Amino acid sequence: MGLVTRKSLFAIMGLCAMVGLLLLPIVMALPSLAIGEEAPAANAEKKEGDKVEKGRDVYYKTEGIVMGAPAPKTVDGPRDYPRYNFESRVLLWFANQQHLYYGSFVLAVPIFCMIIEFMGVVTKDKALAKRYDQLAYDFIKISLTAYSLTAVLGGILIFTFLTLYPAFFGYLSGIFRPVMHIYALMFVAESGTLYIYYYGWDKMKEGFLKWIHLSMSVVLNIIGTLLMFLANSWIGFMMSPAGVDEQGRFLGNIWHVIHTALWNPLNLHRILGNMAFGGGVVAAYAAYKFLASKTDEDRAHYDWMGYIAMALGVAFLIPLPFAGYWLMREVYAYRQQMGITLMGGLLAWLFIIQATMIGILFLSTNYYLWQAMGRMRGAEKYQRYIKYLVFLLACGYMVFITPHTMVMTPAELKAMGGQQHPVLGNYGVMSAKNGGINVIITTTVLSFVWYMRGNKVSTVSWAKFGNIFMGVFFACAYFNIIGLAVYGYYIPANVRVGLSVPQVATTLSCLFFMFALNGVMMKGAKQMGPIEWGKISARSQYALIMLATAFTWMMGLMGYIRSSVRLFWHVNEIMRDNSPWAYTHTVGFAANMISFNVLFFWVSILFVFWLGSLAAKKAPVEAKAGVPGAVPQPAASH
Amino acid sequence: MSALNNPVIAVIVSLILAVGYFAMVDHYLMDMQGLDFWYLFRQ
Repeated sequence: MGLVTRKSLFAIMGLCAMVGLLLLPIVMALPSLAIGEEAPAANAEKKEGDKVEKGRDVYYKTEGIVMGAPAPKTVDGPRDYPRYNFESRVLLWFANQQHLYYGSFVLAVPIFCMIIEFMGVVTKDKALAKRYDQLAYDFIKISLTAYSLTAVLGGILIFTFLTLYPAFFGYLSGIFRPVMHIYALMFVAESGTLYIYYYGWDKMKEGFLKWIHLSMSVVLNIIGTLLMFLANSWIGFMMSPAGVDEQGRFLGNIWHVIHTALWNPLNLHRILGNMAFGGGVVAAYAAYKFLASKTDEDRAHYDWMGYIAMALGVAFLIPLPFAGYWLMREVYAYRQQMGITLMGGLLAWLFIIQATMIGILFLSTNYYLWQAMGRMRGAEKYQRYIKYLVFLLACGYMVFITPHTMVMTPAELKAMGGQQHPVLGNYGVMSAKNGGINVIITTTVLSFVWYMRGNKVSTVSWAKFGNIFMGVFFACAYFNIIGLAVYGYYIPANVRVGLSVPQVATTLSCLFFMFALNGVMMKGAKQMGPIEWGKISARSQYALIMLATAFTWMMGLMGYIRSSVRLFWHVNEIMRDNSPWAYTHTVGFAANMISFNVLFFWVSILFVFWLGSLAAKKAPVEAKAGVPGAVPQPAASH
Repeated sequence: MSALNNPVIAVIVSLILAVGYFAMVDHYLMDMQGLDFWYLFRQ
């Protein structure tokens, strides 16, 4: 603190006061929550002698005093379902999806900024630190314009709900009344913190103030994550209601309403999904800028930016399927029928499409990494082995996307001898699919390991043993994953279902142990040459754009699946959807709608990027200067 | 360390470590779920 000048001290005090004021609304909102919780007790005392109606929680099975009205029994008509001459559900779908896309993006990017800014603060290489700082600034700049659009889309979504589904929205907002204002106030705090974080970047770029600035990104992300968790509680309540009785009456415990059976799996799945999506969008932005660049310096900068965004996105993409498995497991545990509708019934074909998209994501990532190895001297030695990785990926992918049964004409059915193909049908079961996806992810981990050691030769005395151990470990991992998949065919279903856990553990072992081993082996390694940033094929950049587009499409698809699983319920088993649109769309219609949403998002975000470029802050000269091919040097930090 | 840098010894040691590790992963993670990994072999 001795180094802090008087001016800095005032700045810190001013900043603390500002952050405190921003957080004040949340603190002020808390007593109202407490009052809300105490209300039943107060009411109970007041009406002593009167009959107090009690209800039983549909999920927690606890008793509580009835505090709210029952869920409305809607009828198809202008009172409950006012409409334009258009399907209201489609309008809501569009508004919801666009808000979610932008919301995900603006929640994910500040997390990237926090990570990258932290890397910049702790790195000892000053030039590299400046590059990280500039990159973090570039990231937040992209999200800033998108932030306003997110708020606008949120407003449009609320008006769409109020206009087209007033009865349902009235009920939902009644149930969540104690936290509705907290949500709104947290949004105010999030906006304020974001603006101080962005506009204070230059003023707080050195010394202790830089740490304050970094801490603000932590505060920003905590608020953002809590906002998302609150929003998730609404969809969690719609899918697996709790805290209400069987008539849908609120029983006074808001925590039960928030903490539903699916809330935590949804939280984890969404946070990972948002991060992977945000990484994809920023990588696509960098790819676009790379392709449009006129100078080698710009190409080097955007190549590096694309790589960092892709690496961060994929780091969250790898655990995403496992979080998905957890969510599905909880869905089955909550209502088995809901799980069957999702994965074995009405919506099962959408999961085949989802598997196709997941495969595309991993194929694009691997393709990008193989292309990226082209900018390193010394990585040529791996090129001849890539065909084996392609073989493994292709096999895993084909097994992963094989459907269990096909929709066929009677003639086709007769020709094939049943709904299930005699050979390929065997790959349509979970045992095979678990093997397929784990092979794909393990291969992606292997591609990353090759990329990270591409231009380096280990100098540790046990390098030969390390390399052999790594190869044997990966070979045994493949053998274990495929062996477990085959083993699953020979044991009963109740034992087989547990095999997915050691399969996942095998993949994660490769990820953590091999990354760690590679890191130790490559410490102080001899460099064959620098990473020549910017000297990468244009095809690699299209792979990044493909990655982002596929992710956007998959997000739309999974959102639709999650929402459709409620079938004809607004709130599962509590409030029935009596609108004319309480049916499940055809796969074709859903795919067209998702494609339209994806297209709209990408056109609109291109507009956002263009707006951002109009107010582009000129990067510090020293941050962009340097010999192309020699800078930046993030390779040392791999 | 020099013995471990012999390719044959390195492969044997690596195989013992990796196979042992994955066998443990399979056994204990199934056991934790109350399931028997060696079900087929006990029949």
